[in-house]
Amino acid sequence: MEGNDAAGAREAGSGGPHPAGRGIFAPVAARIGWFRLGSVLLGALLVLFVVGPLLRLLLGAPASELAGALLDAEVRDAIVLTVLTASAATVLAVVLGVPLAYALARLRFPGSRLVRGILDLPIVIPHPVAGIALLLFLGRHSPVGGVLARMGLEVVSHVPGIVAAMLFVSAPLLVNGAREAFASVDPKLERVARTLGDSGWMAFRRVTLPLAARGILAGALLAWGRAVSEFGAIVILTYHPKVASVLIFDRFTLYGLSAAIPAAVLLLLVALGVFLLLRVLEPAEER
Amino acid sequence: MIRLDGVALALGSFRLHDVSLEIPSGGYGLIIGPTGSGKTSLLECIAGHVAPASGRIALNGRDVTAEPPERRGIGFVYQAYHLFPHHSVRENIAYGLARRGRGHEAAARKRVEDLAALFGIGPLLDRGIRGLSGGEQQRVALARALAPRPGILLLDEPLAAVDPALRRTLRRELRQIQAQEGVTVLHVTHDVEDALRLGDEVAVLADGGVIQRGPPEEVFRYPKTPFVAQFLDAGNVLRGTVTRQGPSEGDPPRFAATFRTGGLVFDVVAEREGATHVLVRPEDLLITRDPVVGPPRNRFGARIERLERRGPVTLAHLDASGTPLVASITSQTAEELGLAAAMTVAVGLKATAVHLF
Repeated sequence: MEGNDAAGAREAGSGGPHPAGRGIFAPVAARIGWFRLGSVLLGALLVLFVVGPLLRLLLGAPASELAGALLDAEVRDAIVLTVLTASAATVLAVVLGVPLAYALARLRFPGSRLVRGILDLPIVIPHPVAGIALLLFLGRHSPVGGVLARMGLEVVSHVPGIVAAMLFVSAPLLVNGAREAFASVDPKLERVARTLGDSGWMAFRRVTLPLAARGILAGALLAWGRAVSEFGAIVILTYHPKVASVLIFDRFTLYGLSAAIPAAVLLLLVALGVFLLLRVLEPAEER
Repeated sequence: MIRLDGVALALGSFRLHDVSLEIPSGGYGLIIGPTGSGKTSLLECIAGHVAPASGRIALNGRDVTAEPPERRGIGFVYQAYHLFPHHSVRENIAYGLARRGRGHEAAARKRVEDLAALFGIGPLLDRGIRGLSGGEQQRVALARALAPRPGILLLDEPLAAVDPALRRTLRRELRQIQAQEGVTVLHVTHDVEDALRLGDEVAVLADGGVIQRGPPEEVFRYPKTPFVAQFLDAGNVLRGTVTRQGPSEGDPPRFAATFRTGGLVFDVVAEREGATHVLVRPEDLLITRDPVVGPPRNRFGARIERLERRGPVTLAHLDASGTPLVASITSQTAEELGLAAAMTVAVGLKATAVHLF
């Protein structure tokens, strides 16, 4: 091994600007070059920066405190509420977004580029700004909010407000994912199905949808994860009942850091679960 | 029966105007045309995926211009086959039989197995479509298209993606299966040999319309326009007779033979005897100024009718004992040999360079 290293260092020395060598990096650089080594090292810093805080958070909560958080009715309710509202927002996004995604992938209609642009807006708008916009649009005294209220659907400061905020920020992820999934299915496959006797709807259901399903599911999970992690828009639209992110913020401001940790860890675990599911789905899609 | 009456199509920048053609029931029609001439779009229009701007489409005596694809009774095979990647070979072939409902499962199963046997893909039935070779995919696509017993089969360059040896086999199979299934075929290609070998009727598509149509031999021998002549410029197409000279060998069995057309006799390698076409590519004809002596073993005298210079290549239009031939040589060679019209030259040709079909 020593001999190899020495040889590597000599090689690196002959190619590099400082023949004296660069300690432990020289042998690696000899093999992959200083540029690639530099990229790897800089990238490693960023990865550590992401992993470090999360690990610190996970390790910072003893199991007893986690169990305590699970027994805390307020924490439990918040997490259940978060999961349910995020699921509702995702279902709404799928029902409204999948047909739109199909249209955007398949049809060239006037303004289709504009529609795509509009759908990307929620990604760049600061979330409290989105919350205020939604509040103005859906509040009791707005035309839309007024109509909804008369129909018995209270949005602001109620559960539907949470769903609305989540839908606003997460729908673009679903639509984009589904659009890409549909675009990757060759329209000629559908045409073949039509000549084999399928109506337009049947060809969609038997060919395009199954082939795009993985991509749509990945988009839906991404949207779900985004909905679970939403804070800024929700806190403005519906502060109470509290979703997990609002509760964590609440605990942090009222009782300090240590009071916020158990709930934060639980929410992190829920999010990680979704993330893992997503990773399980994705590689198969790339194949 | 496929009948197009003045079909016009406008898709983006490209358009077809006034395409009319008719293929009788059980016939095999070919549309030949250069890439980008709108062949695929025309097929998609016949299948009902694209509406014509004007004109009528009739299939088996029924006007289907306003019908959706699923009610036209058409089988369609794309150049890239487009098998359903989420289905097995069996499911692909059975796809068009699935809607027949209860009581038809046994019949559907039998139909799939019969077709698989016909195409020699029985052992593949329960495999996925990943990993199938080009020829296998092509057979699955054909079986899938034929399964619901369409009256019409539309083929979009079905042989373009397979290697030349397999192409010959598939061509033979196509004709055989067409006869067996009694289906009317419209086949789009840019391959001259497809047209000569398969078609009862050929239409040359270019500049947005059908430039010429008729029996393939006629179209090839008597091109109506310079474009057709130029486009079909795959070589010298000659009609004549093959006579066996030796025993059959190899697989497929081939034998040494002579081919006689007009006053010319070539040595050739043939698969069958009797009347046939040959294709002699202009670049396979060698021109020299030596006198022709001894037995004319693929060497014969010819008179230069005219020379056509196309940059670095010169086409020599020859008259070989009454048979017109075109040879292509480099312009440099033409100059070195001092070729000129009305000169008599010797023309040589390798037996293996003569293409019989």
